[in-house]
Amino acid sequence: MKKRFLNNQIILLLISLIVISSCNSNQDNKKDLNQDDLSAKKTKNTALSKDMQQQLDTSIRDSSTVNASVQKKEEKPKVIIYNFHLTNRCLSCRAIEMATEKTLQTYFAKEVKEGRVKIEILNVDDDANKDIAEKYEASGSALFVTRIFKEKETIKDLTGEGFKFARTKEARFIELLKKQIEEYLKIK
Amino acid sequence: MKKLFLFIISVMFSMQIFSQINADTIISNDKNKLRVQVLYFHITDRCNTCRSIEANVRKTIDAYFQKELKSGELDLYILNCELQKNDSLVKIYDAYGATLAITPCVKGKAGKIEDITTWAFQKVHNSDVFLSELKEKIEKYIK
Repeated sequence: MKKRFLNNQIILLLISLIVISSCNSNQDNKKDLNQDDLSAKKTKNTALSKDMQQQLDTSIRDSSTVNASVQKKEEKPKVIIYNFHLTNRCLSCRAIEMATEKTLQTYFAKEVKEGRVKIEILNVDDDANKDIAEKYEASGSALFVTRIFKEKETIKDLTGEGFKFARTKEARFIELLKKQIEEYLKIK
Repeated sequence: MKKLFLFIISVMFSMQIFSQINADTIISNDKNKLRVQVLYFHITDRCNTCRSIEANVRKTIDAYFQKELKSGELDLYILNCELQKNDSLVKIYDAYGATLAITPCVKGKAGKIEDITTWAFQKVHNSDVFLSELKEKIEKYIK
């Protein structure tokens, strides 16, 4: 009788042990689950913050690009070519104008479209051009390449080169003018 | 009579050509005396501005350097750059169109060429300024 009671006691203890352990394991599972949730949340949060950071970075980068491009646009030098002439024009004078236009069409079409390179053909006999002719001291045929950068003007007088080469050595004149314009378009 | 008439005409014609050559270029080519050369190149089809530059150069020399021109200290060249006979000078002076240059000379040796074409086109329409400034430019080589 005593032996039977002991057996029952052992079985009960075992069952209770099993129940307790299963309960513990459930709790562990729950804990694990909670930890998973947390880590998932953490990962999610990290991912979210990464996304936000990326977005922030992109927006900062974008804004800096915009700023840079605005600055770049502001910083690009402009070139204006002033071709002065009298009312009665000679062959050399016409040759200078033709060669200048050819230079712009051949090598600076993009810059002309953007407004970075411009040609002004001006008759010095015309009263409307009096001020600009006085500024450049142009009393007859003359060719000036002007660089405008950061409100500063630099002027190169190519009148002599024009008369020396434009009519008889057009290619040489075009090369000279091209180099001068390229030099003036550089940011330095 | 007809022959005589033709002879007179031909003599007059040749004299005119001869005088034209003399008027174009005035050189003594005396290497020991030569101090400065003034050269003006032009193309065959000349415009008023080009002719004015030549006229102003001549005026300057007539007004201030007659003595040097006669003594051989100064040589004046007026040259058509499109004529084959001037090819060698055209190459030296890079003068393929209207070009005004001054070259100092010491004991027959030519010094550094001063190309004043741009200056000439700038000042040509103000004769007084052209004359006085060209005078200074030439004088600095003669002194």
